[in-house]
Amino acid sequence: MSKPRLAIFDFACCEGCQLQIVNLEEEILDLISLVDPVEWREAISDQSDTYDIAIVEGSITRPEDEERVKKIRERSKVLIALGACAAIGGVNKLKNNFDMDDVKKCVYGKDADLPHLNTAMTKAVDEVVPVDFYVHGCPIDRDEFKHVVKSVALGKKPNIPVYPVCVECKLRENVCRYEFNELCLGPITRAGCGARCPSNGSWCFGCRGLAPDPNVDAAKEVMDKYKKTVDDLRDRILLFNSKQEHADV
Amino acid sequence: MAIKLFKKAALKKWVDSLIAGGRVFGVQAKGERFAFGPLEKAADLRLDYDVTILPPKKYLQPQTEDLVKFSKGGGYESVIDSEPFVLLGVHPYDMAAINQMDAIFLKDGEVDTHYKARREAATIVACDVESPSENVFAGCMGTAVVDKGYDVLVTAVDGGYVVETASPRGEKLLAAAGEVPDASKKDMKKRKAVQEKNRKRLRKHELKGEPLGLPCLLGKSENHPVWEEKARLCYSCGSCNLVCPTCYCFDVQDDTDWTLESGRRYRVWDACLLADFAAVAGGHNFRKERAARFRHRYYRKGKYIPEKIGEIACVGCGRCITACTAKIANPVEVYNRLTEGC
Amino acid sequence: MGDNGKDIYLPAAAEVVRVEQMTKQEKFFEFRLASGKPLGHMPGQFAEVSLPGIGEAPISISSSPTSGDTFEMVVRQVGNVSGAMHRLEPGDEVGVRGPFGTTFPVDGELKGRDLLFICGGIGLVPVRSAINYVLDKRGDYGKVTVLFGAKTPGDRLFVDELAALDGREDVEFLETVDDTCGEKWNACVGVITMLFEKIEVSPESTTSIICGPPVMYKFAIMGLHEMGFTDDRIYVSLERRMKCGVGKCGHCQINGLYTCQDGPVFRYSDVAEVREAI
Repeated sequence: MSKPRLAIFDFACCEGCQLQIVNLEEEILDLISLVDPVEWREAISDQSDTYDIAIVEGSITRPEDEERVKKIRERSKVLIALGACAAIGGVNKLKNNFDMDDVKKCVYGKDADLPHLNTAMTKAVDEVVPVDFYVHGCPIDRDEFKHVVKSVALGKKPNIPVYPVCVECKLRENVCRYEFNELCLGPITRAGCGARCPSNGSWCFGCRGLAPDPNVDAAKEVMDKYKKTVDDLRDRILLFNSKQEHADV
Repeated sequence: MAIKLFKKAALKKWVDSLIAGGRVFGVQAKGERFAFGPLEKAADLRLDYDVTILPPKKYLQPQTEDLVKFSKGGGYESVIDSEPFVLLGVHPYDMAAINQMDAIFLKDGEVDTHYKARREAATIVACDVESPSENVFAGCMGTAVVDKGYDVLVTAVDGGYVVETASPRGEKLLAAAGEVPDASKKDMKKRKAVQEKNRKRLRKHELKGEPLGLPCLLGKSENHPVWEEKARLCYSCGSCNLVCPTCYCFDVQDDTDWTLESGRRYRVWDACLLADFAAVAGGHNFRKERAARFRHRYYRKGKYIPEKIGEIACVGCGRCITACTAKIANPVEVYNRLTEGC
Repeated sequence: MGDNGKDIYLPAAAEVVRVEQMTKQEKFFEFRLASGKPLGHMPGQFAEVSLPGIGEAPISISSSPTSGDTFEMVVRQVGNVSGAMHRLEPGDEVGVRGPFGTTFPVDGELKGRDLLFICGGIGLVPVRSAINYVLDKRGDYGKVTVLFGAKTPGDRLFVDELAALDGREDVEFLETVDDTCGEKWNACVGVITMLFEKIEVSPESTTSIICGPPVMYKFAIMGLHEMGFTDDRIYVSLERRMKCGVGKCGHCQINGLYTCQDGPVFRYSDVAEVREAI
């Protein structure tokens, strides 16, 4: 059986998630023992019209991007959304809280109306085309990326947690960030990162998106117990989870 | 079996000699909290700790633990870890929990070979509590003091540590200490006083009624409003499960290397509060309500496991009370509500 | 039980002897243990089937132990393990642990009784083991009635065997589908409990065995109650997430019961008051 052809594409993002793949270093050789990269701007110069697996990084922020990602979808058997921008819209969705004209003026000033600076509401990839698998996070977790690639190659659905980050925090025996009087999004954020931020002394930013069926009502009520307000919670959620389901607190 | 009185310096010397002799895990400070970890020097050992974030069960059933490995052409092979180690500073309530784990993994039904290998590799040095934690209620659960399961018991008393061996393995461990004087009758009296005091003071929450009344109480409390009331604020994050010394549920997963043909099957701690704990492959979730999952945990502790092994599966360590961000997981509060009726 | 030094999580190798596509979603498998020995199961039990790298899943055993040294399973493609099993071919190897769990008491109290089998969809899979066992020892039992309900005619399992059951003088067989989906269909249309009024069974001399989708049990049991069945004359086979099969992992608990050890076959009177059971 020939190796599946892999292509990696970037849309609106910092390309840091692709960089995480490059950062696999010698394991990249293992990766290409499983898949045949045919298009990957950060690592190879080739381009290709056909591929089996498309990895899409970044969110969809312009009408022309929608067309491009639809074509990618048509050409791929499996499409993987890579990183927070692609998977949930992430930080890019912050702008959806404002009027688009204001956004353009704020960012580009007098050049706001130049055609190449056109922008639209941010969409996650799955708001435009169906996505088969997700690698969440900002940036992605390399181990989870490897797990997803191996799972696709094995023909199994990757095991992506539906539980909150607290699970991994406890497994790592971290001191809860709430004990430091911090507002941590761990209890409502999808796990899978190994509780990376809390393990390194920070609260959870919620970069992997909200866990399915998050108890946001509890989060709101719990704020009081820690002398925080619902506004504090809202501010924190907005960074990665603007305009997400359940995120409107 | 021997009962000795160690001065602080002698104890330190003994612990350092144990460290020189093999793997030793002991309680150390982790910020303002405490955790069991690999002990590098006796000076790091904190027998005066209040409670560790995770219970010492992590050395008998690790967070993730390989069960079998597989390879192309090689089929499946058991992975058994039987490297000896010493566990230093296990509090009585945690020892009681390990005794329950023994009942589940070694006596109830089929023997779990993986647990058995680690349990047999472990030499456990228990210690009586010096500093009660903010939420401990072991005194209510009959686990403020423990009389079995350990190899050595250390009790801090005025003037040193009373160290008692309780098994040949403990004797062997103590032999590394060299010449140490026997504990006097007076020392023994002091130890008894410490234990009596602990029975009384490890009660930061007061359980109404006897623990052994819980199965009966729960038998008539399935529809009590407390389940819905508390679960309303439940994040389904499993924190209460994961810090619990008597929770042992696990999930089993496979992982492969890049060949996709060789790899390992491992178990990882799971938690019955998590949303998909009882979901089957077809998608049906047999316990999909938060309240049903919340209730299940208290029934497991107070009824289901007791019916299996004859002991209440809550040892009063209070970790779940501390770990629950929403502050809904206090077993004493829940059980007292049931005792009070509606 | 007890300690024989054996690793309870270590699978034994088994070879795929035969694979057949049964419906769009279900495939039939026949396996033989590499040791050459029979699996040693009784009707109603299950085994943990695993594929390296994919994982392990509990699967009902569908064949009767009377049918030889191989064992049979029918698997619906719903998860990772079942998905990978659907790619298996004869000669391929799987890992097997088991058999696990309780059995339909075919050698015990079902002997000499009239039997009413009620099977919905893939609920037929474990019950088939008991039906075939009973038919292989037909003289040991009284009247045998089999009711089978499927979603559509295309979802029917073991169609040849259903036809054979229909043709037998010593078995009363009735079936229904929820929806014909435009296919040719001469039997009943509607839920399985509709068949209850078409059969004649004596509740005193009959024991009923039920297996089907979660929603079916309540209605089937209500129907049996109306016919005069008492709870101790009803057996149910229940599905749960039996992850370890040996009563340790906790996933399959129905209140205090472990489906992998106290079940999957329960006498209904033992679980009628158990909140999470039905």
